[in-house]
Amino acid sequence: MILLEILTKSFWAGIAAIGFAVLFNVPRRVIFPIWVLGTLGGLVKFSVIYFNVGIILASFLGATVIGIVSIQMAHMRNSPPLVFSIPSVIPMVPGIFAYKMMLGLMALTSTENTDTYLKTLIETVHNGAVMMFILISLGIGVAIPMLITRKESIKKSKFKKNKKAAIST
Amino acid sequence: MKTLNEDAQSAGIILLEIGSLLMSSGASTHRTRLTMERIARGLGYGIELLITQRALMLTIIEKDHELFFSRLKRISPHGVNFRMVSGISHLSWDVMEGNWTISQISVEVQRLKSLPHYPRLVVLALVGLAGAAFCRIFGGGYTEMTVAFIATVTGLFVRQEALKVKFNPYVCVYFAAFSASFMAGMAEHFQIGADPEKAFATSVLFLVPGVPLINSVTDMMDGNIQNGMVRAMNGLMISFAIAMGIFSVKMILNFIQ
Repeated sequence: MILLEILTKSFWAGIAAIGFAVLFNVPRRVIFPIWVLGTLGGLVKFSVIYFNVGIILASFLGATVIGIVSIQMAHMRNSPPLVFSIPSVIPMVPGIFAYKMMLGLMALTSTENTDTYLKTLIETVHNGAVMMFILISLGIGVAIPMLITRKESIKKSKFKKNKKAAIST
Repeated sequence: MKTLNEDAQSAGIILLEIGSLLMSSGASTHRTRLTMERIARGLGYGIELLITQRALMLTIIEKDHELFFSRLKRISPHGVNFRMVSGISHLSWDVMEGNWTISQISVEVQRLKSLPHYPRLVVLALVGLAGAAFCRIFGGGYTEMTVAFIATVTGLFVRQEALKVKFNPYVCVYFAAFSASFMAGMAEHFQIGADPEKAFATSVLFLVPGVPLINSVTDMMDGNIQNGMVRAMNGLMISFAIAMGIFSVKMILNFIQ
């Protein structure tokens, strides 16, 4: 039952990724890979959350998987990896936390009761911190393959060989 | 059209054009720098660059270090366009490996600029589905998903219309957030669905500035702290505009209750 729930959630994460892909005007040939990546990222994130790991580490792992697979996709579909990774990662962007933090900040301007003030302050700081760390972990997760391989471009010799082979055959 | 001469000046102009297109289409600073350097190397020039969020400065140096050309170009924000990023990436490798000339590059840039966007209805429908998807992820049922779909489509439509009549971009976001959460708020007001708050919270998520925020982290990781800060601030301003939209709707809902 839980498995089914994780699967449906991941499916819809993929759909959300496609929505953003179209909004960002990606080339048509990368839309399906983006759905696959979004689903995969969601699968990793929701499964990790199921094992009671925090949302920050879960988002980081999901983004890392997206970052690694998007490099393979980039080789296959001949587009830079960010075209794949950014739309697939965006469903994980902590919009809810960002907007709760903003609402909290606004509430702080009009609260006078000390107890409510403290409670709102604590919630706001918490939401802001979670949002910031998720964002950082998404950014680093997507960049991890580049950080590990220390290459300036993924299109090093590997792709060139393929291209030459394709021409010669 | 005047044909471009194959000299440092026209190379500099086309490089600046490519750089500003990349920056406004949502590429990170590091990628913009790499691509411009790659194209310049392909053409046989060395370049020095200063990249900021709203302007590019380029000095192009010929091999004997006797002649150089410097120019500044403003970057006008267009909105994210990954078709452009992908096309320019191809272009840069063509220049490196295929020894393209400046006029070939210029023709290709013109072609990339004229590439069509997706039809408006397709964008509206798929972004609406994305809104419904967010609602599903946060645990909404089919009724809430429908509300989120309608709210998202309304919000995106309003945003496109506002951008057309050239409102300030943050004001556009405010209008979009206002109309999207107003639609969802109406559903909440008339008690449509079991858990209308979920639709309310997810109706504005399509506006979340994902590209500025992720690029901001990427830029800072690459050491472009300044650009990263600018992008983060931009993302924060957009989030603030979204929050103001929701805030206004909440005030109205409190008022009519």
